[in-house]
Amino acid sequence: MAPSSLTDASTAVALRLLAVTLQRLPSKRRWLRGVDGWIDFSIALTTEDGGVAHTVRFEGGKVRVQRGVARDVDTKLIFRDPSVLRALLKLPPNEVLNLLMRGDLRSEGNLSYLSLFELLLSLALGWRYKGLLAQARVDARLGREQVAASGPTQQRAAPTRERLTAEGAAGVRWLGEAHLGRYSLDDFPRLREGLERHFTTQPELCAERPLLLTRWLRANGFEAGLDAGACSPVLRQARALAYLLREKQPIIGKGDLLAGTTTTREVGVVLYPDAHGTLIWGELLTLSDRPLNPYRVSEETIATLHGEVFPFWIHRNFREWVRERYAAPLCQQLDERFAVYFCWKTVALSHTIPDFPLLLRKGVGGILAEIEGELAQTPAEQEGKRETLSAMVEVLRGLTALGRRLAAEAQRSAEQESDPQRRGELSEMAEVCARVAEQAPRTLHEALQVMWTTWIALHMENTNAGLSLGRLDLWLQPFLDADMAKLGSAQEREAYLRRAIDLVGCFYLRCADHLPLVPDIGNHLFGGSSSDQAITLGGVGRDGQSAVSDMSYLLLKVTEMLKLRDPNVNARFSVEKNDAAFLRRLCEVNLVTCATPSIHGDENVMRAIGGLGLEPDDVRDWAATGCVEPTISGRHMGHTGSMMFSLVAPLEMALYDGRHPLLRAQVGPRTGSAAGGDFATFEEFYAAYCAQLSFLVDQATEYNHMLGEAHAVLRPTPLLSALIEGPRSSGRDVTVGGARYNTSGVACIGLADVVDSLQTIRTLVFTEKTASFDQLAQALAADFVGHEALHARILRKVPKYGSGDEAALDLARRVTALVHGLFAQKRSYRGGPYTTGFWSMSNHVAFGGLTGALPSGRRAAKAFTPGLTPSPMASPNLLDNLRDVAALDPANLDNNVAFNVKYVPSARDGHARSVDTMAAYAKTYFELGGLQMQLNVVSSAVLRDAMARPEDYRDLLVRISGYNAYFVTLSREMQVELVERAEYGAGLGG
Amino acid sequence: MTASPLVVEIKGHSLDDGPGIRSVVFLKGCPLHCSWCHNPEAARAQPELSFDAALCVRSLDCVASCVPEALDPGRAGAAFVDHERCTRCFDCVPRCPSGALSIVGRAMTPAEITDAIARYQPFFANSGGGATLSGGEPLLFMPFAGELLRRLRERGIHTLVETCGLWSLERYLELVEPHVDQLYFDLKLADPAAHALHCGVSNAPILENFRAVCQRARDGGPPVLARVPLVPGLTDTQDNLHAIAELLRRCGAPRVELMPYNPTYESKAQKIGAKARLASSRFMAPAEIERCRAVFVGIEVVG
Repeated sequence: MAPSSLTDASTAVALRLLAVTLQRLPSKRRWLRGVDGWIDFSIALTTEDGGVAHTVRFEGGKVRVQRGVARDVDTKLIFRDPSVLRALLKLPPNEVLNLLMRGDLRSEGNLSYLSLFELLLSLALGWRYKGLLAQARVDARLGREQVAASGPTQQRAAPTRERLTAEGAAGVRWLGEAHLGRYSLDDFPRLREGLERHFTTQPELCAERPLLLTRWLRANGFEAGLDAGACSPVLRQARALAYLLREKQPIIGKGDLLAGTTTTREVGVVLYPDAHGTLIWGELLTLSDRPLNPYRVSEETIATLHGEVFPFWIHRNFREWVRERYAAPLCQQLDERFAVYFCWKTVALSHTIPDFPLLLRKGVGGILAEIEGELAQTPAEQEGKRETLSAMVEVLRGLTALGRRLAAEAQRSAEQESDPQRRGELSEMAEVCARVAEQAPRTLHEALQVMWTTWIALHMENTNAGLSLGRLDLWLQPFLDADMAKLGSAQEREAYLRRAIDLVGCFYLRCADHLPLVPDIGNHLFGGSSSDQAITLGGVGRDGQSAVSDMSYLLLKVTEMLKLRDPNVNARFSVEKNDAAFLRRLCEVNLVTCATPSIHGDENVMRAIGGLGLEPDDVRDWAATGCVEPTISGRHMGHTGSMMFSLVAPLEMALYDGRHPLLRAQVGPRTGSAAGGDFATFEEFYAAYCAQLSFLVDQATEYNHMLGEAHAVLRPTPLLSALIEGPRSSGRDVTVGGARYNTSGVACIGLADVVDSLQTIRTLVFTEKTASFDQLAQALAADFVGHEALHARILRKVPKYGSGDEAALDLARRVTALVHGLFAQKRSYRGGPYTTGFWSMSNHVAFGGLTGALPSGRRAAKAFTPGLTPSPMASPNLLDNLRDVAALDPANLDNNVAFNVKYVPSARDGHARSVDTMAAYAKTYFELGGLQMQLNVVSSAVLRDAMARPEDYRDLLVRISGYNAYFVTLSREMQVELVERAEYGAGLGG
Repeated sequence: MTASPLVVEIKGHSLDDGPGIRSVVFLKGCPLHCSWCHNPEAARAQPELSFDAALCVRSLDCVASCVPEALDPGRAGAAFVDHERCTRCFDCVPRCPSGALSIVGRAMTPAEITDAIARYQPFFANSGGGATLSGGEPLLFMPFAGELLRRLRERGIHTLVETCGLWSLERYLELVEPHVDQLYFDLKLADPAAHALHCGVSNAPILENFRAVCQRARDGGPPVLARVPLVPGLTDTQDNLHAIAELLRRCGAPRVELMPYNPTYESKAQKIGAKARLASSRFMAPAEIERCRAVFVGIEVVG
């Protein structure tokens, strides 16, 4: 019997066993139904060669196994070979999507069903999975310890309490000593307790949002025209959201000064089944046992999600809408192979910053009145506009209702509170909430509360992925000024300052009360990422003058004390308008927190976005979204994280005649092969790279476009639309291009890997002719094993981007211009151009894991370099790196960059000199044209220690590529990448 | 001896050789022969073959090019190169794919060195840094060093010289001092006999020059920082440190830097076939360093 037919027979046996188990045991059979009745679907399992083929059919509570792949099957799983199929039955459910990611498994059809099938599999094999996951946790631990043992380890030193001080810093009116060195976390027991809860509470899945929405939609209809009484998408979403905001539990956290929570859990994972939520279906029973970032989930939540929520959304999510509408287009198939690009619109569209200045100026009621006025003037024949405006009105009324219910809850809690001090706080909160439910805020407390209430509501509407907070210092300073002006004595003012720190600290901790849903595959793709709610400080105001104020320093103080990964703090430093004291303080906070804030060269970022046709005042009002991406606050739907795009995939395809090695398929056009001797000159090869790149840009933007349509149909966002300039007057939702400015931003990944690869090809194959293209191709196929001399020559003798070599730098300029040029020609569904950024979240690790050896000398499966950071092999001299990165043309980097610098101060340098050195790097880099830099202040030895003893490092903050993460929450591959990153300082620089 | 020294290395980015962010030029050749020498590759003025066994991928492309048969594939590790047989023709170097074989000592003009460093000038300007001349002994070649310093100064770059102090004061004052912003002056052993034994020469002219440059500093010349390498059992003795402290007080030197012994230099010696003459393989304990610092009462100790 051939192995394949053996597997075919044994698979049939295994599937029949599964069928019998599920159907005969009542405790399991009840999982085959939801509130709407039996969940009917079919799934086929087959191998690429067709040697194995079976269909499992779930119908009316019965499970049948049929030979062959049924024609009408909902989802088809195609395994690379029988061994992978066998592995499926031995793997924990969290690993199945990882099989997809690695290209061992391909799926056709609805992914929700794959997820459901996984759940049923884990149900049938329950006891076995417990054991598998326990083993996986042990393996993960051993794996980490192995890396830790591969080099020296060092315990992290106790944090220095030494701080610089600054008297008379520019822009500071009320603080006195601007660093607020007179306070420490010990002065804020409320924040200390909140922080402790943040680090000790395991995140938990929360069913509140999906359940309330699903209930409303089930009762009132979803598809207009199909369901009786269903209304247009924008009105439907408004009414469902308004219902949610009215029904949502009003919760006041223990000791909190701000009322309201995003979820009903202490740290809640928010579910968006209208986006990617159903992907967690398969892990529901095993989530709490998975090795990396486990979630708690209650029996009740599991039952609700499985029975009531997920079945409703099987087809009603962005991904499946595109699959059905466009018959699984190639561009979607490529996305779902993970190795070439990843479109974020399957998850979210709302990488933007709402118009908080408007909210703070007018209050919810003021905005409501403005829209009602517009509605009154809109003639009946403009039906679409009237609908959208009405939707905004309904949802703003829902927001008002939420505010009132929070006020009532605060009042109720105050009445029950026995501690007089807390009773006073709760009464004050009740007044604050009551005031800002409709009216505009007058005080800092009121301003923070209305922002927070609105923030909750925005996250009930939009996925918690990258929605950002904007220029908090600039917008909150007037409230601090107004509060201070009312105080007579120095003593009162000092007491107020302490209170202000407490309030802002509560705001930060509240922002950290929710997490994005991360299926295990996400641990590898975006590991450790939070919701990335970016705050932006400093820079210049709309008038071009310095925007640094008391609030800038106050927010920095809170950032320094709390050391949270989220909110993601960014700072704009204007070389021309901000004073040196501000930069020093930014660097000091970075030194103390190890990883935050990320610092931007204000003039250069403004230069980068200057070509997008924005008003000059608006350009000056940019703030970071998600990771680093510039968005015009309150005026701009930038979907700045629309896709993660591998620049390396087209390089591999150019080497192999359009074939992608991991996907084992002809993907792109046939442009010749390196091994076949098809390229006579470097320029011929470069042309092949351009052709493959251009092909993938077409595909990725096409999918992004389709997903954009899906958003407009499935999830218009009337609340966000009410808070962005444009829709309030035009009556067009932001999902269809109603915003004042529209762009789509791309994150291009692997710049250094591509440039260094092209350098190798140009230098060794075409200029020096020390290796033929065929030899190089053979070395790549062998992962350089047996080709050590060639590998060494590549690593040591080919000048790289980041080394100061002019030719390499020119090539980097050429590639960035090429990529930018290709994307800039495209228009998104909402209109407006694409922008290109060079940051990578953690996709440089994920894409790298799916890529073979490269001409740059990078071995197979190793991480790419993060963002646009040069390779650690480029130069031992950090200054060469800084100069080269700063020399790229900002016009091609209009979605910003993430440039990682690891700096480890030597013990003998002392605190002040370390800060000065960091400030000198930053200032010079910005003067030379650099857009952004992020300093990781931790040594490889300490990181290894953290891998060995994660329990001692729960709060160790690291910057990945644009966002912060707690090191211990990262996948092992990402931890290794951080350990191996180039390290400067501590006498190791050259 | 050639009139122009060879460059061992230009270290573009250093935080350890003076204030701010600096570039350091290491020139080849030194009149002293200290038993603990930490830069053995800079001791001799002539070019040398360096072999870094850790980089070698054993392509063996080099072996056939070696006429005197100094490269023996049968020998592993550092012993691959027989430095006794090597005639320093360097024919093997371009054949080495990995850079394991390299030449220590490259001829560069003062103008070329200045250009290589000046690219970092914005970093110097923002950090209060600049260029540092080190070695070897950078003042072994006074006219060259003077011209290099002058060119750096012309580009607005702050200049610092690290020296062992063995040179002609007259020529120093004429050729070098006008172009120097700061002087780091090594004091190793106060006792003349011990100095002769461990450093190969008498320390009399060195101490005399030290007194002179201290006087110059008081008269408006470049400020001087005395630096003492702490070598266990040799320079870190109480006697020696007390004698040096006394010298500093007499010369009115306000500050001293102590440089604790660093045992990691041995591999450097091995690469060029030299022997590490002093074999202590451990870092100094903080308490030992503290004991040394305590000697310098009334003098600011940095580092």
